Amino acid sequence: MRIVFRSLLALALIGILSTACAPAPATQPPVAQPTSAPQQPQATEAPAQPTAAPAEPVKLVVWWWGEQEAPGAQKWLDETIAAYKTAHPNVEIEAVLQSTDALIPSFQAAAAAKEGPDIQYFWGGVWTLENAWSGAIVPVDDLIPASERDNYINNFEREYSGKLWGVPWYLSGNPMVFNPKLFTQAGLDPKNPPATWEDLKAACTKLTAAGITPISGGLKDGWFGGWLFSILARQTHDSEKEFMDASVGNAKFTDPAFAEWWARIKELKDAGCWNKDINSVDYQQGQDMFVQGKSAMIFGNDTFLKGWSDTIGWDNMDVMMVPTYADKKLAQTYVVTAQGWGITSWSKHPKESADFLMFMHTPDRLNAWFKYTGVLPADKRMDTSLIDQPILKKIYGWDTTVAGPNLENFIPSMLDEQSNFAGTQLLFSGDKTPEELAQMAEDVITKWREQNPDQLANFQAWSQ
Amino acid sequence: MLRKKIEPYLFLAPALAVLLIVFAYPVFRLLILSFQRPTAGKLHFVGITNYKAILNDDVFLQAVRNNLALLICVPIMVVVALLLAIFLFERIRGWQFYRTTLFLPYLLPIAVVGLIFSYIFQLSGVLNDFLTAIGLSGLALDWLGSTRLALPTLMFVIIWKEVGFGIVLFLARLMSVEEDLFDAAKIDGANWWQLQWHVTVPQLAAVIEFFTIVSIITMLSWVFSYVYVMTGGGPGNSTMVTELFIYLTGFRYNQMNIASAVAVLLLLVTGVFIFLELRLRENSAIVEAVE
Repeated sequence: MRIVFRSLLALALIGILSTACAPAPATQPPVAQPTSAPQQPQATEAPAQPTAAPAEPVKLVVWWWGEQEAPGAQKWLDETIAAYKTAHPNVEIEAVLQSTDALIPSFQAAAAAKEGPDIQYFWGGVWTLENAWSGAIVPVDDLIPASERDNYINNFEREYSGKLWGVPWYLSGNPMVFNPKLFTQAGLDPKNPPATWEDLKAACTKLTAAGITPISGGLKDGWFGGWLFSILARQTHDSEKEFMDASVGNAKFTDPAFAEWWARIKELKDAGCWNKDINSVDYQQGQDMFVQGKSAMIFGNDTFLKGWSDTIGWDNMDVMMVPTYADKKLAQTYVVTAQGWGITSWSKHPKESADFLMFMHTPDRLNAWFKYTGVLPADKRMDTSLIDQPILKKIYGWDTTVAGPNLENFIPSMLDEQSNFAGTQLLFSGDKTPEELAQMAEDVITKWREQNPDQLANFQAWSQ
Repeated sequence: MLRKKIEPYLFLAPALAVLLIVFAYPVFRLLILSFQRPTAGKLHFVGITNYKAILNDDVFLQAVRNNLALLICVPIMVVVALLLAIFLFERIRGWQFYRTTLFLPYLLPIAVVGLIFSYIFQLSGVLNDFLTAIGLSGLALDWLGSTRLALPTLMFVIIWKEVGFGIVLFLARLMSVEEDLFDAAKIDGANWWQLQWHVTVPQLAAVIEFFTIVSIITMLSWVFSYVYVMTGGGPGNSTMVTELFIYLTGFRYNQMNIASAVAVLLLLVTGVFIFLELRLRENSAIVEAVE
């Protein structure tokens, strides 16, 4: 009897475990995947009006990033979700803010499991397209009409195989930011900031003589190395295509045009331009030094400007184009990328997701975005009369007249990490020369090509 | 008779099922992935190609070298923990306070420890400010920003944090040793060193073995958080370790199959030490008593 009882108990335990391990029942009836010619959401035609809501409840999950570089984004997103919910009572939207380091890994894990967000935040270029190539996101061409897409800025970063693989959200550019008061203190004219490389080095000399750290940065977490690559390596090139060509093996990163930026950073290092602790502080700390008045210049990000103005006031900063050392086309451009969104391939609600993304691009939301963040949305329909701050007007001018690509978005992430991130650290620690670093870049990209035949094929197709 | 044979397995079945789901299946998947590569969006069997690739990867080899270098921490931790445990066992004045203080670092989250030490060891950090203030500016070095110093600095922090576990382990065992053994040695005229060498260390042998193996496993496969928070593997990969390499390869470079191959190698190496540790536990009533 005891044996029978124990056996039954064991079987019951197995039963309980099986139940516990079984997938949870779907809370909503499955919705069909988009067909080759899905019906366009009504909201696109008249965004200000509520759409004809589907009968069944819909839950959209949004994994996002952006508050980190555009303070105020959280408030805007909360308000946007609330406004959308009012217009679409059946749609529930859950927005989950990701940390910088978790943004990519979390999505990779979600993509592997084919479970996770309906809408995912992506940086531009390769950061988006790698997920298109792996099948984690779908093109938006069939979900968002061309008339709507035409209003978006920087679509080219998300285009592949004739399709658009995401929706741009806001623009993120890289001006050189300087402190006019510290310039004056060092005998420099803030009305005429350095325009050439020689000017910049001369400014470093004057600032150093006045006891001021000329430029601050932080390389410990690597990201700033990628920024320096995007901002400086461009000057000897006409197009981002040249970097894509070098990535697929049609040019070498040891060629003088690709190698020169390493030597130029070293020049700045030798001229005493940088904070001495650049290798032991991270990106944010390097930027904070400027805000704290400890340095006169930074290679900054225009998405931070409004936030900094709240701390130190607009009077304590100004922006300039990065001084040039070469005269190729990209040298005269302002680095701009559009951060954006993608719709996941496993989403049961791609149409509703697209509809929400289009709602983000309605004039009211675009203007509110600028109001909250001081950052320009990646859409031509924003009311530009709202830009009344002179520094932000300058940024808008550059965005619309001399915008150029962010090179980090057009190279494999392995090259960025193992060459740009690690290489800049090695340059500042004095372990490698510019020539050795150029060779290191070539070695890394050779390794990437050997290890990733599939990604190489995608890059080759993309570069063409 | 048959019922009696089946009965134990029925009772084991739920646990086995859980083990299969949470352990065996992921390991099996990992193994399969390590022999595959994506081509045109689909995974194909490629034999040992991924393993060959990582053995030619200089960053991976650097990570392995760094993991091996971290093993230097193990004898240091054992000796430091042993000495401190002996001092505490001898009930030096305030020993209870010291015992708590020395164990405290082990209780702190690694992320917190890493962050605090990151600030302390910055070039413009607290340590260098202090050294400069007392006239030792020559010793104010770029602890985390130099390729020569970053790994030793990391090792210091790991030792600082992990040694508390050894102290508590050794102290617990010492407290269960018969007092008579020490008294007999003293009557026989043993001095302090002889007492430790001939009585304390032999009595602690099993626990020392246990702590050594656990520490080796830690250095090989449990230092990710320290490295990630304090150096991110830099400067210039000088503190790269295999765990971080797996993470970067899988999640940053989108090369899950190569990351899987590294993970399999790491699992094999760590598995050897886990096996040793299990054998040790089986054979040691002393350790069981301590646990």
